[in-house]
Amino acid sequence: MKMATVFALVLVFLCASLWSATFTFWTAPNPNQEAFWKRVIEDWKAERPDVVINWRTIPAAASSEEAILNAIATGRGPDLCTNIFSGFAAQLIEAQQLVELSKLDGFHDLIATRKMEEAILGWQFQEKSYVFPIYSNPMLFWWRSDILQDLGYDQPPRTYSEVYDLAERFAVPREKFAIEFLKGRNWWDRWFDFVTFFYAATGGQPYIDINRNRALFGDDRGKEILTFGLTLFQKGWTSMDMMDNPLYTGHLLGQLQGPWEMPRAEQIFPKVFPGNIWMSMPPVPDDYPEDQPVYTFADTKGLVIFKNSRNIDLVWDFVKWVFSNEEYDRLWMEMTNMPPVRSDIAINPLFQDILEKNPGLKAYAEAIPYAIPPALTPRTIEVQDAMTVYMTEPLSLQRGTVDDILRRVVREINAILF
Amino acid sequence: MTEIPKIDRKSIPKTLQRRQSINGTFLIAPYLGHQAVFFGYALLWLVFLTFHRWNYLSPPQWYGLNNFVQLFNDQTFWLVVGNTFNFIAYYIPMVLILSILFAMGLSKLRYLTTFVALSFLVANVASGVSYSIVFTKLFSENGPINRFLWQSFGFTIPWFSEPQLAIFSIALMVTWKFIGYYGLIFLAGIQGIPKSLYEAAELDGANRRQKFFKITLPLLNPSMIMVIVMAITLSFGIFTEPYMITGGGPMRRTYTFMMFIYDNAFRRFTTTGPGYAATISILAAALSFSCIFAIRKIMERDVEMI
Repeated sequence: MKMATVFALVLVFLCASLWSATFTFWTAPNPNQEAFWKRVIEDWKAERPDVVINWRTIPAAASSEEAILNAIATGRGPDLCTNIFSGFAAQLIEAQQLVELSKLDGFHDLIATRKMEEAILGWQFQEKSYVFPIYSNPMLFWWRSDILQDLGYDQPPRTYSEVYDLAERFAVPREKFAIEFLKGRNWWDRWFDFVTFFYAATGGQPYIDINRNRALFGDDRGKEILTFGLTLFQKGWTSMDMMDNPLYTGHLLGQLQGPWEMPRAEQIFPKVFPGNIWMSMPPVPDDYPEDQPVYTFADTKGLVIFKNSRNIDLVWDFVKWVFSNEEYDRLWMEMTNMPPVRSDIAINPLFQDILEKNPGLKAYAEAIPYAIPPALTPRTIEVQDAMTVYMTEPLSLQRGTVDDILRRVVREINAILF
Repeated sequence: MTEIPKIDRKSIPKTLQRRQSINGTFLIAPYLGHQAVFFGYALLWLVFLTFHRWNYLSPPQWYGLNNFVQLFNDQTFWLVVGNTFNFIAYYIPMVLILSILFAMGLSKLRYLTTFVALSFLVANVASGVSYSIVFTKLFSENGPINRFLWQSFGFTIPWFSEPQLAIFSIALMVTWKFIGYYGLIFLAGIQGIPKSLYEAAELDGANRRQKFFKITLPLLNPSMIMVIVMAITLSFGIFTEPYMITGGGPMRRTYTFMMFIYDNAFRRFTTTGPGYAATISILAAALSFSCIFAIRKIMERDVEMI
């Protein structure tokens, strides 16, 4: 009798496995995002018990990209994957691994429903969409409002000259600094310094022409940004090697931060954040029109469907099901503190109570329409590595003139892109 | 020395021989299997990749010697070779001198020898990531060390911002990590030197300096070779510290072989890719073996203590 029961159960299980469609879904190895997707998958199970999702976080490795590549190489890759940054997406597109989403049924309707007609343009590769952006983290400058007020300011500095003025009043070389001009020496740090300053100075113009494969920042605006940085380094108003948390310890007045910093700051430095922080767009050149909006960089990641998936339509159904429901965008924002890629967050009543409770998040949400994603080039790492070696490091070491530095970095990047 | 008696295999019965042979094979089989999979297969795959172009996503394509040609024309490769020797030039003298001094100090201790040795070994077992973060903060421009230097002497040291100093600073950190471990190797060497040699030297009127240079140092030759071999291997394989602290900068002066391999294998997989990374790793291994071979040829002495 027992044997018969076991046999029947095995048979039922086998039949269920054979009849139910499955696909593999990987998400970012981040506890908040994991909690969000867990909830979504549970809802999906209730809605579509016939489709089984093998969901897990991206396996542990030095980077998500490494884990995904290893999995694809060994034939264990996912059908659907989140946490894809622009450069990696462009590499996968170049290697013809991604499904063109803009060809799939209902793509444009989904883009319209999620209010991301503008945002999707920044993710297009040769006018086709392969990546569905999930969240967008604009970079904003955080300023120590208490120190600024003590120095006689009632708002953060807007232009480079105003930053100089502030630095003269506050900075002490090797001890106290005006702003953090450079974030670090890794290739990705260029997103959070030069690229952000470039978007701010140019009204969101691209720094790489991805169609003609050349650098676009070797002009007067690029020169102004580098002159600004060089002046800060020459006068000792900024540094590459500041001690930990200089903004919170009062050794630094202004620093670029993403929304992910808010929970950490609130938990570790409650006396400083949110009470003593002003948020603003990055500083701009002195002649930047006052009536024009200032743009910034958007740290944004998206999801992709891999071509080797056997259930592309099912996977796409799932994507449409999740992202056409704005309740999930609300849940995402609640659970991760990161704004979803929607242009209506600041005005849609659904998100208002979250934003009212969290003024910091509101500032980030308001910046979304002016936040531009990075250039979608498969040479992202090489390009930004060249920016580090030939531009930001000579600048911080004060080796060479701005003209020489700019000429050299543009030449090197053009050679990489050629 | 006691001579090991030779076994006359003919005296052993055939069945016993076969049984011993089977048992022996059975005992070493797991090791051989493990080596075949995790070393042999990986090595063969590595060699295969050096002659192919691959991006993980499509089948590898025959590329002949192009990876080698490209690598020899790659300025970054030569820069990395230079960086590695630059690191060795700081690291090996520093770690040798300090660990010998540590071992000598330890050999003179009467109490708490184990405690002191273990205290130094803590650095060796510490996580590379965590102590890299600690050193970054310690050496920052407005960190405690520079603040002290500025307040006391009116200058600061750009530990990680000046290209040459950055290599030195990383060598300093790695030295700190390995003093305890290498020191214990030297301690074992020092303890193995017969006291009678020192007593005889003292009778001949040798001073402390002569005893060190004529007895201790020559007799530490095997330990020294071992430490140098390990230090060279480490210099070619260093990754965590420069990756965490300097990201290979400033001006790529702390860019190491491991970072170069990693970047090409995973970050530039559509341009250079794992085939190129495999070629770098083969050449890095060849270079490190050559260094070890040269060091052993030049420095190794046959030391016998009867």
